[in-house]
Amino acid sequence: MKNILLLLLGLLLLMACQVEPRPIAYGSDNCHHCKMTLMDPLFGAEVVTQKGKIYVFDDVNCLMSYLEAHPQGEESLAHVLVADYTRPETLLDANLAFYLKSEQIKSPMASKIAAFPSEQSMKEFKKGLLGDGIYLAWGELVTQFK
Amino acid sequence: MMAMKLTTWIATLISLLLVATLAMSDGIAPATHTVKPGESIQAAVDKAAPGDIIVVHRGTYQVHEITIRKPLTLMGKDRPILDGGGQGNILLIAAHGVTIRGLELRNTGRSNLNDPAGIKFFDSKHCLVEDNILTQTFFGIHFSNSSDNIVRNNRLVSEAEKEYMTGNGIHFWKSKRNRVEDNYIRGHRDGIYLEFVTDTECLHNVVEFNKRYGLHFMFSHDNSYLHNTFRSNGAGVAVMYTRNVVMKYNRFEQNQGPSSYGILLKDISDSEVRHNWFHSNTVGIYMEGSSRISFVGNEFRQNGSAIKLMASCDNNTFEANNFIGNTFDVGTNGSVVLNSLKLNYWDKYEGYDLNRDGIGDVPYRPISLYGSIIERIPAAVVLWRSFMVALLDRSEKVLPAITPENMKDEQPSMKPYDIDKKVK
Repeated sequence: MKNILLLLLGLLLLMACQVEPRPIAYGSDNCHHCKMTLMDPLFGAEVVTQKGKIYVFDDVNCLMSYLEAHPQGEESLAHVLVADYTRPETLLDANLAFYLKSEQIKSPMASKIAAFPSEQSMKEFKKGLLGDGIYLAWGELVTQFK
Repeated sequence: MMAMKLTTWIATLISLLLVATLAMSDGIAPATHTVKPGESIQAAVDKAAPGDIIVVHRGTYQVHEITIRKPLTLMGKDRPILDGGGQGNILLIAAHGVTIRGLELRNTGRSNLNDPAGIKFFDSKHCLVEDNILTQTFFGIHFSNSSDNIVRNNRLVSEAEKEYMTGNGIHFWKSKRNRVEDNYIRGHRDGIYLEFVTDTECLHNVVEFNKRYGLHFMFSHDNSYLHNTFRSNGAGVAVMYTRNVVMKYNRFEQNQGPSSYGILLKDISDSEVRHNWFHSNTVGIYMEGSSRISFVGNEFRQNGSAIKLMASCDNNTFEANNFIGNTFDVGTNGSVVLNSLKLNYWDKYEGYDLNRDGIGDVPYRPISLYGSIIERIPAAVVLWRSFMVALLDRSEKVLPAITPENMKDEQPSMKPYDIDKKVK
């Protein structure tokens, strides 16, 4: 009985080792693609592989270059996340985020793209830019950088 | 018909001349307005005619976004203080021919959303920012879409609680033909930051203790950087995605940390790096995806690694440089070598010169076996300087097996070059 309990405990511990994203450490993390130190909490992206390895990026286009160079695809990645423009230092699921590309968005690597958690928050921000900017979904973003 | 055209043409010419002389006579005698404590600088700016001089007397002025939209000279007498009170920008300029001189600007807002600055220029030309002190500004001096400006002899010092809660010292975006000289920049995010900037010169600046990079430019072609000092910045200097860069007589010192570089060169091509001094950096130069750069007459002294040359670099030449007292001279991550090394001085060279022509008779291999092992397994560094490692390195020198065979200096110099004097 004791052995079974130990075994179960062991299994539980193994399950605890999940592949989870971690918050980006602005000021000390470096972009995996362009090597720049991340400084601007409005921008950033993170990839977590199935094996739990984490890569951090400073801008959406660096993330795209990484995905492009590793075409084994998104199935080998447990998480693809982007920084929430409305709430600095929080991450969104890249697949579900709403992207706005505008000349007025000055991102670290000049992608000019910001990510929003909802269509409404994106539209509100676009209003602030006097309507300058185009909306992109994840799929469109991926094809644009191919 | 022809004659008619000619007369109208002459008439236009005469009237143009008249206007020009009138304008010139205006320029000869600009009015001078004085502002004393308690008075409004903005009111003086609004009242002034183009070309006038506004003299701000000693004292502290609470200001918010003084906006200048005409050619003016705004100068301080006995260094008045313009305090932004932690809100927005202090000076906002969109004009040609504005001079800002002798002021102290303090306390801009702090926000990543609208990038407040001590002095912010939009669409400006032929402006001069000289002899100012900027303290506790988010961005120091910020230019966008501006050309032919000079930033000279300013002192920019900022402190920030969080590393990323500060902007860049001198920031240019989509600008050309500017000059940045004799400035001192400390405590900002990047000391000097250029993005989409061309034909710009940075001379004699001292940039130290900034949070990220001392100098940082991207997509900025045809610029030159001479006689600058970049010291103890968070991650050294980073230059990216640019061609035609000239870097001469600069000092890159004390840039230390796990991801610190004297210079990080990423996708740089057709450039010159000459007579620079790399001292006590974790990595002197880190290169990735760069080609056709000539490194001549530089000195690498007491760095962790003098050069990390990634296999994605090609057609770079290293000639007549000094490598003295570095833990590792050259490191790489592959076996392909498409770059050339010649006539460098290596203090670790143990060859001989039988014909006494000053050039060693056997090649020098700057990559140590142990260096390449550390490249793959960083933790292996704990065994550094052990007997086994010395033995391994020695045997690898005799018969290269793991280190790239082609990474060698065929003509190593027997004597160091006299570089020190030129930089100082």
